[in-house]
Amino acid sequence: MSKSHHDRTHHVKKATGKGDPQCFKGEAGPPKFKVGDHVRIKDLPDLFYTRCQVYTRGAPCTVAALVYESPAAEDEAWDNTDKPEWFYSLIFRQKDLWPDYPEAYANDTVETELSERWLEKA
Amino acid sequence: MSSRNKLMKHFQLVGQLQPALHAPQHAPYPDTIDHAHYRAYLRSSHDVGGEPDVPITWEEKEEEQWEHNTFVTCECLAWRGVWNAEERRRRQNVDLGQTIYLGLPYYGRWLLTAARILVDKQYITLTELNNKIDEVRKRYE
Repeated sequence: MSKSHHDRTHHVKKATGKGDPQCFKGEAGPPKFKVGDHVRIKDLPDLFYTRCQVYTRGAPCTVAALVYESPAAEDEAWDNTDKPEWFYSLIFRQKDLWPDYPEAYANDTVETELSERWLEKA
Repeated sequence: MSSRNKLMKHFQLVGQLQPALHAPQHAPYPDTIDHAHYRAYLRSSHDVGGEPDVPITWEEKEEEQWEHNTFVTCECLAWRGVWNAEERRRRQNVDLGQTIYLGLPYYGRWLLTAARILVDKQYITLTELNNKIDEVRKRYE
């Protein structure tokens, strides 16, 4: 039996010879933030799927790099790929994430990537 | 389930598998669930960062043959356009639910998810899949 109505070819056509996320380059529009900006992670609804770690919500961080353009995880997880966003590499101070983080390691950081929808100016 | 005896043991084991809250909380009435519990239940099960847990023993271990086969199968499903990597992750890390996420081996979740998407997207029927499992299982009886 095979009666699938799902479109199996659109991503292959788009990504062949370019790769993913390179195939979305130029589709996200101008980025809202730049390297060095101080931003904060929004506490958006996260029903059914996200890759925005709960431990980052509300925490301040610094933009380390604009890494690529891609559909956000929340869209791509259902194969909705027509609205790519900028992805940012973000640096958090561990002390800003964990209240009991030891003072002796005050300079420790953690870096992770999130899409633009999760960021607001700090 | 090959016997009624095994079936009864199955019920007992399932009864012991609790959600991560480690509290009896079965099918509550609407006025006994607050927002904190709603959010805890609905959070993506792969997002474990910050949650208290016990240490896990690290073992240096090669992948087994079935694990390699599973990985290649899932990559072929992507190559043929059945899913993309994010849909695969959504299904194997979140859609399976908390109990299976924590309870099965990593590639066990990949394998279940590969079967699930073929049924969900109607490449095969669940009846066909179950008949095949039954046929294969009989080879080992």
